[in-house]
Amino acid sequence: MSTQKAPAGMVDQGFRFGQAREFTIFAPIKQGGAARMRERFKTFAADDVSVINKVATVHDLRVVIFDNDSRLMFATTYDGGFEQYIKDFSTIMPDNIDRFFSEAEGYPGVRSPEIWNYIARHQVEAAAFYSAYPDVTVRNVWKGQRVLKAFQDLLDQAQS
Amino acid sequence: MTDIALPTQQLDDARERKIGVTMPTTDFPALDLSDIQATVLRPRPSPYKGEYIVLRVDDAAQGREMLRRVIPHVATADDSWTPALPGWLGIAFTFQGLQALGVSQASLDSFPEEFRQGMAARASILNDIGENAPAHWEHPFGTPDVHIALAIYAEDEEGLQSILSHARQAHQRLPRISVVYRMEFGELPEGRNPFGFKDGLHNPYVEGSSAPASPGYEQRLKAGEIIMGFPDELGEVAAGPEPEVLRRNGTFVAFRKFHTKVAAFRKYLRENASSPEEEELVAAKMVGRWRSGAPLVLAPERDDPELGADPRRNNNFSYEGDMRGLSCPFSSHLRRVNPRDALKNEFVAVNLHHFLRRGTNYGPPLPEGALEDDGKARGGVFLLIGAHLKQQFEFVQSQWVTDGNFIDHGTEQDPILGNNEGDGIFTVPKTPIRRRLHGLPRFVALRGGEYFFMPGLQALKWLAGKDTRRRPTAEANQLVPNQM
Repeated sequence: MSTQKAPAGMVDQGFRFGQAREFTIFAPIKQGGAARMRERFKTFAADDVSVINKVATVHDLRVVIFDNDSRLMFATTYDGGFEQYIKDFSTIMPDNIDRFFSEAEGYPGVRSPEIWNYIARHQVEAAAFYSAYPDVTVRNVWKGQRVLKAFQDLLDQAQS
Repeated sequence: MTDIALPTQQLDDARERKIGVTMPTTDFPALDLSDIQATVLRPRPSPYKGEYIVLRVDDAAQGREMLRRVIPHVATADDSWTPALPGWLGIAFTFQGLQALGVSQASLDSFPEEFRQGMAARASILNDIGENAPAHWEHPFGTPDVHIALAIYAEDEEGLQSILSHARQAHQRLPRISVVYRMEFGELPEGRNPFGFKDGLHNPYVEGSSAPASPGYEQRLKAGEIIMGFPDELGEVAAGPEPEVLRRNGTFVAFRKFHTKVAAFRKYLRENASSPEEEELVAAKMVGRWRSGAPLVLAPERDDPELGADPRRNNNFSYEGDMRGLSCPFSSHLRRVNPRDALKNEFVAVNLHHFLRRGTNYGPPLPEGALEDDGKARGGVFLLIGAHLKQQFEFVQSQWVTDGNFIDHGTEQDPILGNNEGDGIFTVPKTPIRRRLHGLPRFVALRGGEYFFMPGLQALKWLAGKDTRRRPTAEANQLVPNQM
């Protein structure tokens, strides 16, 4: 909706290093939710990975369950510009995003207008943040890998 | 690379759920065209002559009096086809303008953040940097002096003068209403832009607008993407600004005044091509169309003036047969600002990023063949119109115009609109190897910009303190402008 607050947290908070951004959330987990999360993440691989790849701006992400299974940490490094796509992602793949947080207490769902308030309440800005390649995007890395492989193949062919 | 190859089924499933594909539908609400301003839904006349006027309001009561006088002359979307009409008047307000008219704080607070901040304050998000930065804008753009904008479109000088006289009468003997800016605009020969290209050939179709359907590539938008009060592409109806009477049939306008560096453009072509034909090809690759308006996708080798002049064909194309960009480069202006189906394999909901473009030109053309700048002001003013400034104008400007990551082009920017400072690059896909142009300067410089709210007619009356057709609700009473 148009009155929806901007992703204030993601835009204004969070460390920037070159074009790289960090985003970390600490949130309480529902009773018994930790076990359900672990079970769900066993099948994390194929489905979610392919969707996150498609987003093509997420360098890495991790989910940590701690404090006797009572809290979760969601931490990621992403490319600047991601914020602009939040509406796209929450439209195209709300279930994939919600899967990460479905056991989080009070999580309203990514399509809810309350989502920004939820993020603002639980986001914690990093005290320090480093990236080895701060100006290189996920797409740059993939392209670099493709080019490097093609180059090595060419050298292999030339010597055979 | 196999490790990042994706099962397309997944993407299709995701897309099926929502967006990306426009479902054919006939059950959309009819819009109340008599309440929506003509400037929003109707293409400007052609040929055209007009003027933009900016007013500052230093007294709310006088501001509302001015509004009461001007309202009868504001053209609505239903009557603008009347041949008798000599032209039309549109009116829009900045956040400061609404404040100056005495709109209550509760109502002001209910406007979207980007509108409340204004375009100048959004410069870092919009990548309005270097020569485009607000510090270089013409006065009064980017300052709190911009309150109300009048946009006047007419078919000729006589029509313009007749509307201008209405505008003048509107603030006669209201000493605390000042004209802080005026600029004239008008059509260039053959309806070309200052670079010599026919443009403005595409706009999405707003459901329920009963505009003559433009033949060709159909981009059908839910009315709520452009007009508040109706469901948008996500099925959501705008919940702000409040009260309802203020937002209903209203929309937002991103106003951009550009100066075009035509001599620099010609000089760059001369230096990067070895024949006049090649100059034309390089220019077309940057724009995405040939000078005639013929799209590269349909005419990859050379200009086709007949195609360019044919409204049934010049917009009737998609990128499906050009997914490698060999005809129309990924980085060309046309493909960036309106990717049509070019991004269909990416995770982006293209339908959330459309708006209506109303372009007008100003200044004399640079004489044919001139390679040195004559120092004259010339360029274009664009009204980019939509209900969601952030998802529409701001997204396109920050992601598609001033970045290249979305097309795997790193930080390469739009060759025409980008912030290139003599160090720009432009990639032209080609077999066996791509061509890359270097050393692009800035061809277009921003001279001013503002976010405006363009209300419907009932909302204008509400702002002026008049009765509305609807009975005022308790909510409306509470939010009514403070009487002074």
